Amino acid sequence: MRTATRLSFLLLRRGGDASRMSLALPVVAFAVVTALALTVLGGARFFFTIEGMDAPIYQALAALAVTLLLIPLLTLCGSAARLSARRRDQHLSTLRLLGAPTRTITSMTVLESTVLAAVGTGLGIVGHVALAPLLGLLTFHGEQLGAGNILLGVGGTLACAVGLLVMAAASAVIGLRGVVVSPLGVRTRSEAPRMSWARAVAVVVALGAGLLASQALRIDQGTVALVSGIVVAFGLTMAVLNLVGPWVLGLVARVQVRRAGGRLVAERLLAARTVLDAPKAAWRQVSGVALTSFVAVFAGVGVAVTNVMAAGAASTEEDLLLVDLRTGIVLTLVISFVTVAASVAVNQASDILDRRELFTSLERMGMSLESMDRARRRAVLSPLRVVAVGSAAAAGLLVLPLTGMVLLTDPLSLVIIVALLAAGIGVVWLALRATSPLLTRVASRV
Amino acid sequence: MHSSPFPSPLPPSSVGSPSVLPWSVGSSSANPSAVLTAQSVTKSYGPTVALAGVALQIGAAESVAVMGASGSGKTTLLHCLAGIIAPDAGAITLLGPDGPQRVDTLGPEGRSRLRRQHYGFVFQQGLLLPELTAVENVALPLLLDGTDRRRAEAEAAHWLAVLGLAGLEARRPGQLSGGQQQRVAVARAQVGAPSVVFADEPTGALDSRTSEQVMTALLETTTGAGRSLVVVTHDERVAASCDRILELRDGLVVHERATLPQQDAHGQQVLVRGQQVAR
Repeated sequence: MRTATRLSFLLLRRGGDASRMSLALPVVAFAVVTALALTVLGGARFFFTIEGMDAPIYQALAALAVTLLLIPLLTLCGSAARLSARRRDQHLSTLRLLGAPTRTITSMTVLESTVLAAVGTGLGIVGHVALAPLLGLLTFHGEQLGAGNILLGVGGTLACAVGLLVMAAASAVIGLRGVVVSPLGVRTRSEAPRMSWARAVAVVVALGAGLLASQALRIDQGTVALVSGIVVAFGLTMAVLNLVGPWVLGLVARVQVRRAGGRLVAERLLAARTVLDAPKAAWRQVSGVALTSFVAVFAGVGVAVTNVMAAGAASTEEDLLLVDLRTGIVLTLVISFVTVAASVAVNQASDILDRRELFTSLERMGMSLESMDRARRRAVLSPLRVVAVGSAAAAGLLVLPLTGMVLLTDPLSLVIIVALLAAGIGVVWLALRATSPLLTRVASRV
Repeated sequence: MHSSPFPSPLPPSSVGSPSVLPWSVGSSSANPSAVLTAQSVTKSYGPTVALAGVALQIGAAESVAVMGASGSGKTTLLHCLAGIIAPDAGAITLLGPDGPQRVDTLGPEGRSRLRRQHYGFVFQQGLLLPELTAVENVALPLLLDGTDRRRAEAEAAHWLAVLGLAGLEARRPGQLSGGQQQRVAVARAQVGAPSVVFADEPTGALDSRTSEQVMTALLETTTGAGRSLVVVTHDERVAASCDRILELRDGLVVHERATLPQQDAHGQQVLVRGQQVAR
């Protein structure tokens, strides 16, 4: 263990610019995951302290919000773990070839992953504490939340931090198997994955169940039943999206490869091939936006339904609930956008660093930086458009009775949906733009 | 230029013995057939002098190996000649199809265009785009320059066939061996009909048998087709397969020698670069 510790810290200290950057990325990713997870859980915890007739509704809605945000947060956490693994694998493969024993390799893996995750988690806790006073200004249930109600508390914070560290260590050990079994770790690429029959059957079953659940949704039924129905329908649809998403992206990319032409043929071809080569990775990168656009439709419909309900609402309790619904929807969306932006920025920066030799060679061959950047942006934005529009359509179909009602009673909600989708795509575009200087630096190095 | 098959080791007598050359390093008399000329080229990185006034000429259809210890300046020289970086002082002139063109005075955009249109590159690791198929990788320089996709891929398929890779057009780099990948890289360097091909340790990552095949392919498709080749290498066998060897030390060409034509078992001069690939 002492050898592993000494070697790990030597490698951590002696990195170059790119190495330091690849150290910083998982740290940043873990910090964002921690800050957002603690804030979401802290806020959700508050709703379980509410008493009164509406308490079960608040709790169901809090559970829904946590479910919504859990998937993108876990995706970001997975990206963070993979980021630290990629950097480490290069070192460990070399050490393995030099004859380092498995125990040393395993210890180094766990140590480095945990140290990076711990630094990120520590920063995330600071971020959570810093965010608390700001989010404490929000009003729920007729009162300002206050920073105290956002903070998860010492016990909860520690449990969450330990959970993240365990996840980091576990994913590092799982990822290590490749290095220990095959130190040369030659990466071979196979044909793009195809949709299996089992997957197709699962999609049909889940879709059928989702449609059945949506049939049960009626505006005149109890609110708790309504929310529960939405949660079930939402969960099933997300499962379908995750099953179908990579396959659809691969299918669209295959068509784009065939049709690539015109003035920007090189960029178009490269972008489509990038997606076709790894549709699952392309999906992971934008799946957060799938969720966001899915939520955006729900939010638009939700806000409209809220307005309709508010027109006939009489009691103060119900008024409060409707205002809180609106706040909750916006808050969930904002957090979701931030998570997606962080995920894209981190993944793109990591991708540029991973492929720096390739980008340098392309620049030397005379490919302009703008062409490289355009191909990279297109490889993210093209699946993003497919995913955002597809998810929004799926959500609209899922709550079709409500969507139809909203179209007739409150067309403004459509504007909200379009604005939210545009904001989601805009945030991803900004995140991509933010990584362009890194591409310039990496590709132009001599 | 002479013919020198890669498998034959450099005759001991030629190593270190300067030969009479059609033009010599630093010579004031310009070679009229020189495709690439460098005069008093200097380049420094902070206090470190990488090139201290290099002068050389690369003839048409000539292959030149640049050798030297690590830090001698050979990669910097290749980068300056290829327009990847601009020298601090001196002149670099390319005699392209449109007449003489100063490389050293071009801005970054101009140098990018020059590299795309007049130069070909082969890197140590091949550095192919893993997502693209072999034929798409080879066609990439043409696509970047606005050639129609069908025409670019037809041209790329031709070069893959020339390099013995017919039938592998749809494979991706991960599905090819190291030697095949490097031959795809050689095809990519030739597809735009460049005036000069630059190769940076083109066989550095290959075993000796595959190195031999790749180097033969590289020579056949460049000098064999009337193009010039500049190879940076540590490998004496690779250098010996070129027409001339320049040795750099401390940023200066300190030694220049011509390699000898190779002979087969019957004492006949061996022709390794035919015209069959010339288009």
